[in-house]
Amino acid sequence: MIKICFIEHDGTEHVVEGEVGNSLMQTARDNLVRGIIGDCGGNCSCATCHGYVDPAWFDKLPPRSEEESVMLDGAMHLEQNSRLTCQIKVTEELDGLVIRLPISQI
Amino acid sequence: MSADKADAVYWDPYKPEFFKNPYPIFRRLREEAPLYKNEEYGFHALSRYAEVERALKDTQALSSARGTILEIIKANAQLPESVFIFQDPPIHTAYRALLQRAMTPKRMNGIEEQVRRFCAQALDPLVGGDRFDFIADLGAIMPMRVISMLLGIPEQDQEAIRQSGDDRLRTEAGKPMSFSVEANVSGNAFGEYIEWRTTHPSDDMMTELLYAEFKDPSGTVRRLTREELLSIVDVVAGAGNETTNRLIGWAGKELAEHPDQRRDLVNNPALIPQAIEELLRYQTPGPAIARYVARDVEFHGQTVPAGGAMMLLVGAANRDDRRYTDGDSFNIHREPLPHLAFGHGIHACIGAILARLEGRVALQEVLKRFPEWHVDEEHAELASTSTVRGWETLPVFLGAKSKHVAAAAPKTEPAVPTKTKDTTLEGTWNLVVKGPTGPQPTVLVLERAGSTFTGTQTGQGSTSPVTDVQVDGNKVSWVNHVTKPMKIKVTFTGEITGDSMSGKCKPGVFGSFPFSATKVQTL
Repeated sequence: MIKICFIEHDGTEHVVEGEVGNSLMQTARDNLVRGIIGDCGGNCSCATCHGYVDPAWFDKLPPRSEEESVMLDGAMHLEQNSRLTCQIKVTEELDGLVIRLPISQI
Repeated sequence: MSADKADAVYWDPYKPEFFKNPYPIFRRLREEAPLYKNEEYGFHALSRYAEVERALKDTQALSSARGTILEIIKANAQLPESVFIFQDPPIHTAYRALLQRAMTPKRMNGIEEQVRRFCAQALDPLVGGDRFDFIADLGAIMPMRVISMLLGIPEQDQEAIRQSGDDRLRTEAGKPMSFSVEANVSGNAFGEYIEWRTTHPSDDMMTELLYAEFKDPSGTVRRLTREELLSIVDVVAGAGNETTNRLIGWAGKELAEHPDQRRDLVNNPALIPQAIEELLRYQTPGPAIARYVARDVEFHGQTVPAGGAMMLLVGAANRDDRRYTDGDSFNIHREPLPHLAFGHGIHACIGAILARLEGRVALQEVLKRFPEWHVDEEHAELASTSTVRGWETLPVFLGAKSKHVAAAAPKTEPAVPTKTKDTTLEGTWNLVVKGPTGPQPTVLVLERAGSTFTGTQTGQGSTSPVTDVQVDGNKVSWVNHVTKPMKIKVTFTGEITGDSMSGKCKPGVFGSFPFSATKVQTL
């Protein structure tokens, strides 16, 4: 079982089960994690599924595509470890991944 | 068998009673005919959340390339590439990506204070009064001003654009743009404005779109052409005005119906964002989205063959009890489940962030000034178009209800001139068609020679001839032979009252849209 931990900006933790092949954005939406919107359904074209990847995990993820970088540039409250969660697929290796959420997406 | 038939669920998207309250029939569709087939108009419809969401994602089988409005799909028209909402990948992707860069959360967030100022300007003059119209005083004004601002249209010119979208924009070197009525036959306001902005770049979205390079559908990196920019701006302006206006109307209506929840919002404004989501779910401003069935696709064990139209009833899906607890009840405190009011997938509303921002700020500013109101039911009016459902006018009485129980609403009789002024058709008219993507401004110019008329009509930056002009008393009709963006005959029929005219126009088989016009006073 792959566990993913989403931490809302106010500290509320959601430890949820991830399904291999689904995106982190979809995983958050399926588990009613407040703070992820994901209007475009995972097509990297709305920048409303922004999250901060725990520094211990950041380098274990596939790098940002150019498309993701362009969209991310328009997101709010950017940090070094910002990613669009729709662009990260759940894999076995991501068991235990921690994603913190920004104070707001919009 | 015959009894079954008589009881079978029937939904006609054009029937007024279904438009007024579509929810009982939406419920029956979900329960009794989740894949509904309408033989009369030739379409299928999906109404349950899971299938509507799946359909919105399946852009291979369910195409947008023949339009996303039933009448347009049925007309089998060729649509310009840059009207990217009516395209599939890769054409859609190329244009969408370009516009997306201009509508990021960061940019939208940066305009919150200006949105708030527009709301304050609209509402402050009403403080101390006892009436207010959610549409006329706020919904029809604020989103228009926001879009105008994003496009960089100077504030002093925005009202003029709204009132007469066709007035030609002119400028002298080094001076702000101003309007002139004198040459208003030459084209649409945005067309003129684009030319002005080309030589006067600024930091607005229009300048960004003018100068941005993108990879076009053929793979060439280039800038938008003037025509492409014009159709993109047209989509943005139309979509950005009409839909948010409807959201604001529904906020006025539903919060009046649920005063306890309104009180919760007054006491805790932090709940406003989730109230906006609940309003979008409960009264979806665009309840139906259509797709062309590009290849055979299966729903509920049945194959829908390629070649037809599919209606995706997001307004029904958003109330599906399979997803939402008691879907037909309005509850701002409900579970935070996403809805489909902005669609889903690659075509999801590009302005969703802006719409949420405008909705939230509008509601904050209304509640701050007016914590209580009730609807003037006698004068409220629901509007009907092919794409949006909402209030055309929503007057309310401000304050506690008891205060007004005895006070009858002042009758607002239409101002009928005692003696009908000369109902002459010849001259110049600023004519606005309420089209499926929003108001389309045009200029109609007619000359009379004896009993015959000749003339032209200009819209979307192109001028085309008018023929078959008929006048019978104050009833008039004519045909406009439009060539761009597609070749189509548009038949107008209307009535003149003094210097105003209103009626319907029929663009070919695309259905029928209301229009209104005012005569330009010649000096």
